[in-house]
Amino acid sequence: MRGDVQLIILAVFLLVVAGVAQGAPPEGEPIPDRELGLSSGSVFDVPSPDPVSENRTDPGEKPALPRAYPGAPAIIPHGVADVLPITREDNLCLACHLVKEKVKGEPTPIPESHFIDLRNSPEKIGKQLVGARYNCMSCHASLTEADPLVGNRFPKPSVGPTRVPKP
Amino acid sequence: MSHHLSRREFIKASVAAAAAGAVGLPVPRMASAALPEAGWRWDKGVCRFCGVGCGLQIGTKGGRVVAVKGDPDNPVNRGLLCIKGYANAQILYGEDRLTRPLMRMKGGKFDKTGEFVAVSWEQAFDEMERQFKKVYGELGPTGVGIMGSGQYTVQEGYAAVKLVKAGWRSNNIDPNARHCMASAVAAFMQVFGIDEPAGNYDDIELTDTVVLWGANMAEMHPMLWARITDKRLANDDYRVVNITTFSNRNSDIADLEIVITPNSDLALWNYIAREIVRRGAVDKEFVERHCVFATGPYDIGYGMRATDTFAFAAERDTQRRERDVVLTRAEAIAQRRDPDKRHRVPQTNTSTAAKHWLISFEDFKKALEPYTLDFVAEVCKGDPDEPLDAYKKKLQRLADYYADPDRKVVSYWTMGFNQHVRGTWVNEQAYMVHLLTGKQAKPGNGAFSLTGQPSACGTAREVGTFAHRLPADMVVANPAHRKRSEKIWKLPPKTLNPKVGSHITKMMRDLEDGSLKWLWIQVTNPFQATANANHWIKAARKMDTFIVVSDVYPTLSCKVADLILPAAMIFEKWGAYGNSERRTQVWREQVPPPGEARSDVWQMLEFSKRFKLKEVWGRQKVPGLRSKGFKDGTLPDVLAQARRMGYSPDDTLYQVLFETSSNRRVPWPDPVARGHANHTVTHAGITWFPEKALFEEYRPFGRDHAHDLADFDTYYRDDIRGLKWPVIKGKETHWRFNAKYDPYVKKGRDFDFYGPALKSRPRGDLDGVTDPQKTSLAGKAKIFFRPYAAPAESPNAEYDLWLCTGRVLEHWHSGSMTRRVPELHQAMPTAQLFIHPEDARKRSLAKNDLAWIESRRGRIKARVETGGRNRMPRGLVFVPWFDEGVFINKVTLDGTCPISKQTDFKKCAVKIYKA
Repeated sequence: MRGDVQLIILAVFLLVVAGVAQGAPPEGEPIPDRELGLSSGSVFDVPSPDPVSENRTDPGEKPALPRAYPGAPAIIPHGVADVLPITREDNLCLACHLVKEKVKGEPTPIPESHFIDLRNSPEKIGKQLVGARYNCMSCHASLTEADPLVGNRFPKPSVGPTRVPKP
Repeated sequence: MSHHLSRREFIKASVAAAAAGAVGLPVPRMASAALPEAGWRWDKGVCRFCGVGCGLQIGTKGGRVVAVKGDPDNPVNRGLLCIKGYANAQILYGEDRLTRPLMRMKGGKFDKTGEFVAVSWEQAFDEMERQFKKVYGELGPTGVGIMGSGQYTVQEGYAAVKLVKAGWRSNNIDPNARHCMASAVAAFMQVFGIDEPAGNYDDIELTDTVVLWGANMAEMHPMLWARITDKRLANDDYRVVNITTFSNRNSDIADLEIVITPNSDLALWNYIAREIVRRGAVDKEFVERHCVFATGPYDIGYGMRATDTFAFAAERDTQRRERDVVLTRAEAIAQRRDPDKRHRVPQTNTSTAAKHWLISFEDFKKALEPYTLDFVAEVCKGDPDEPLDAYKKKLQRLADYYADPDRKVVSYWTMGFNQHVRGTWVNEQAYMVHLLTGKQAKPGNGAFSLTGQPSACGTAREVGTFAHRLPADMVVANPAHRKRSEKIWKLPPKTLNPKVGSHITKMMRDLEDGSLKWLWIQVTNPFQATANANHWIKAARKMDTFIVVSDVYPTLSCKVADLILPAAMIFEKWGAYGNSERRTQVWREQVPPPGEARSDVWQMLEFSKRFKLKEVWGRQKVPGLRSKGFKDGTLPDVLAQARRMGYSPDDTLYQVLFETSSNRRVPWPDPVARGHANHTVTHAGITWFPEKALFEEYRPFGRDHAHDLADFDTYYRDDIRGLKWPVIKGKETHWRFNAKYDPYVKKGRDFDFYGPALKSRPRGDLDGVTDPQKTSLAGKAKIFFRPYAAPAESPNAEYDLWLCTGRVLEHWHSGSMTRRVPELHQAMPTAQLFIHPEDARKRSLAKNDLAWIESRRGRIKARVETGGRNRMPRGLVFVPWFDEGVFINKVTLDGTCPISKQTDFKKCAVKIYKA
């Protein structure tokens, strides 16, 4: 028990240190190995991971999130626990998103690109969602509230969420 | 749970109403506005992640990657990418990229107990050299090593293998790919005499039946899964079977899910084979003309250390099974012994596990006899809550698919087979069934081993960055292979070391017992990735060792390193990868690496300048070396012969191995670059093109040896999206061994399993060799009988649960790249403990509680998940390994397949309790 408390104190201390040490170290400043990497502390420590804050928001509750870059897959702005799994019989994502056009406050339509079968008939826009795109979760994620472990300097999004890549 | 279900039911009900109106749904009208692409440069590339090898278009602007998209012209993925694939644009830009060498220092000098201080490349190489030469002088070539990667580019792997084997005369180079597909390689060599699959990804569209064995393709190879899903949704006769130890996303699309107990795949294959024989479904003509039957010893141990000197006290009982095994009842039946007697079996073939001999079809049939439906169903049923009768019907359905002569079948597997204490056996069993039914090497028919890493095939296997290998399937133990390599590399005879080096797990053991003291780690994170890690992190930090890690981000391995070298990432250098279907693909350098980060090729070229021939090509001691033409324990001095070949003892390895006269004739700049830079050239201050020169130097190894590659420039053509080798007269090979597609098949044959390795075998029966006279099997494949065997460690009263580890969709391997992409991290922030709700409840654990996971080897903590994407049977838990904060390899067992030396990360025994 006492050991656990010590570990927690240590972990908190290290998190603070890691927060400070994030990014490139100042020139010439020594860096202890415990400050390197995504998990601060020594490799001999046993950290306690944070609980997972699953996204529980309902569809429509939050606005669409910006894409990482033009053409990157849209991020799911709501929880998905109730719509998964996607099975051959049921794809509940389609239940809402298989709509004609965007109406404010209504689900975002699946874009045109998802109706072009690039393998079998790339020259035409089909009537059905392409089967290869049926597993929505292969590309689209619903995000937890976890804080980033380190920053990322990738160019920030410059376009809104409804843009789609050219096939 | 009930809340979830009712909500889901509610949504479903609303859908039913909506769906009625959705028939013939019109295409949504979307503004197809032009992307803000002004000034963007697009160029083709390959995904950094899995073995599928999806084609990319990489968008750059102002020296930065700004976007990627799936390449619509690439037949692998036809314009689609998975969520990781899209992250290729972002992985370069984590804020903590390594940009300067970092060395542990105290008082301005290297000190193993010091903290990391930024140093110059010159200082870094100085210390690396000093430490290398100290160890090399003390221990010789076996005291040093490189841990490489299935994520090496072809050129990096080639440079590394040449530096280690030809330069340092060591065979201690082994890739993380050892953990990934060594079992697949061993089986290819034993069955076909040549490595890598006969078929290609088009088999997905050409078959009627896909059977997944230990391959969670929905998460790990998502763009192949997209192709299977597409085909299944459009065809009611297409069948998808998921054989797994727990229910996963494959099961959501599959027609048939078969949950098995760990290791029981061995029994299941034999049931299928027995059914095929019993039902008269053997393709007699195919088997008679193209196959022979074979078997090998059963008492081969579990690839653990031979000694328990280094074992923790709690490990000793598992460790003992390396020497002595008491057969389980199921094993006794499976090996045709009396199940009511106790069978204590000393493991006498631990170091000769690969030996095998020919047997008759009658013996083969006899060996299959115990594998009845009743016996196999009992052994295999992995979900204790599933009724046995229903389970038996499933097994029969599976046998129906394989046995039906009118049904095409492709079997796919990944780590469930390869990471297996009998990994080579279970790979061989897949070929057993496909060969028996003649469903091999034909469009839509075949047993197809998928790899995990982007160039496990292209580099690790084809270049041969393994402790036992040379390029193009050759091995160091074979004098003819050494001779051929010495000729291509222009080395004096007997420069190459005939003694097989340490595989990657053994290198860790060598660190622990002091027989390896200098280690360079490239493009991999082995201290997170190797099982039973408590031993190895301690060895790295406490022993007198010098560990260099070249990487792009500070990984867990960097934390235990003594020197960290900043590496260039995929699109910051030139390279080539080879995917699972033998497709070699290339890319140009797109953007410069940050700060002082440099390509691995540059690092090896520069470091090689620090060795004179007289320091490495003199007499060297190699403990245990015994080989015809060599004095025991010794590599000869080859300097005199080197002098006759025109080398000076003062020439550097750089001059002799890399800046050769022919390589200098491959000039940079080169028109193929089209304005793209080459930082390796710039920082080396040279006027030749190393990546092209190394590729062209490597090609002759495979030419006329059924591994032919096209020339470097061809792969860069605008109309090429990789080519499947062998590439003959500019044409790729779609299906190997099949006369219709493969020019290597001898005239007059329809099929020709022409692989040359291990094709001369003695004869025997199920118990051993009876006639040592060797028979030639030219052109034939071997159908192996391999029995069911229990795992190295199984649950008992104390450690009462199975632990399986693996990957997840959102993260690549140890997470060093993907956990720095905000979306991927937020989608999967930590490695959870997937556990059946009942097993959790029994331990007073609920979703998101913190739990201890403890084995004989160590313990760690993780958050509980009782639902989610994986549905666990009672008795088995799953923990992904991407998260260094949930260091699950402290818990796993380092038992390996004794033939392939690949670790079984899929099964060991643990206990779980509330933290």
